[in-house]
Amino acid sequence: MKRAMCMAMGTLLAAAAAWGQSGLPLPAPVEKELAARASDVTEVTLDKNMLGFAAKVMNGKGKDDAAVKQLIEGLEGIYVREYEFDKAGEYSAEDIAKLRQAFAAPEWSPIVRTTERKGAETTDVLVKQVNGETRGLFILTAEPKELTIVLILGPIRMDQLGMLRGLGGLGGALGPMGPLGPMGPLGPMGNMRHGSHSKDKSDDQTKKGGDQ
Amino acid sequence: MNRHFWIPLAGVLLCVAIVIPWAAMAAGGAGGFDGVVDAIEDHYHAHATRIPLMGLASLVANSTTHGGVSGVRVAEFEQFPGPVDGAELNQIVEEKLGQGWGRIIRETSRKGAEQTLIFARPEDKLLGLFIVDLDKHEMDVVEVSVDPDQLNETINKYEHRAQEEDSN
Repeated sequence: MKRAMCMAMGTLLAAAAAWGQSGLPLPAPVEKELAARASDVTEVTLDKNMLGFAAKVMNGKGKDDAAVKQLIEGLEGIYVREYEFDKAGEYSAEDIAKLRQAFAAPEWSPIVRTTERKGAETTDVLVKQVNGETRGLFILTAEPKELTIVLILGPIRMDQLGMLRGLGGLGGALGPMGPLGPMGPLGPMGNMRHGSHSKDKSDDQTKKGGDQ
Repeated sequence: MNRHFWIPLAGVLLCVAIVIPWAAMAAGGAGGFDGVVDAIEDHYHAHATRIPLMGLASLVANSTTHGGVSGVRVAEFEQFPGPVDGAELNQIVEEKLGQGWGRIIRETSRKGAEQTLIFARPEDKLLGLFIVDLDKHEMDVVEVSVDPDQLNETINKYEHRAQEEDSN
């Protein structure tokens, strides 16, 4: 009897732990502070369950559909946060530092870092490498009045990444993907191939390959 | 172990199985679409118009979309009392909606006049969507089940037709 009770409790705790892991793995206070200061906030959260369902229902008939299906069925989550501010200076360099700090683990490496307009606009692209495989992508774009975060977790093929915008075609149900649209932060990533980190903007300063 | 152990245990378990769901219902009211609409009405002292004959409309939608859309439920608040706290609205909806639903999209403005919440849940081959949209003094609450495959085909059909018209 006791053993059965222990097993039931164990199952419940495991389920609770799994549920707790489904959110955006960013420090909650940073998200809350940014949301409190932003005039408009857009959040897109596609967890493993939702992506699994999307992959399941995609027929994969077309070439693009098949590639998107293959890409998303292994993903653990896609998270987008877009904060728009009424005026410049509503978020600080410290906020950006806190966001970067969340990905300061050894498996995360910066591959692109750009600074434009004398530091007013920055873009960070980090990838998570596990045993030589790309298992995550983090993009942070900071403009004076806008801050965008894109986090994709799971095995990623860089050459297929641009196809994620095709998720909007899932019967229109996931249509308003906002920043995942053609002109969003993933737009420039569409042509990025693993190992070649080109960016065609005329930047004041571009750093590549972990020179933070 | 004899029946002196099992019979009282079964009695206790039966009581728990009956009492817990009843207590949960009594404490929190109904969940799902009606629960959310009722909770919004209570919290914001607003009145929702539930669209009449929605069952019939849902049947028609199901038929015209070849099973792409079903289970449509709509409630409309026409004179919603002003801006709301986005976090509070989100909490009300999440609490009442119940398990299985996950929020996929949230758009919120600090001034509170515009709020959009979209929740989704897999329903076998269908995708359940629950949408709460506030635009100034009008709020719509919509629940719908869509067949992503079927809907994709319909959208593609119209996209192709639009492309053909553009090229002509």
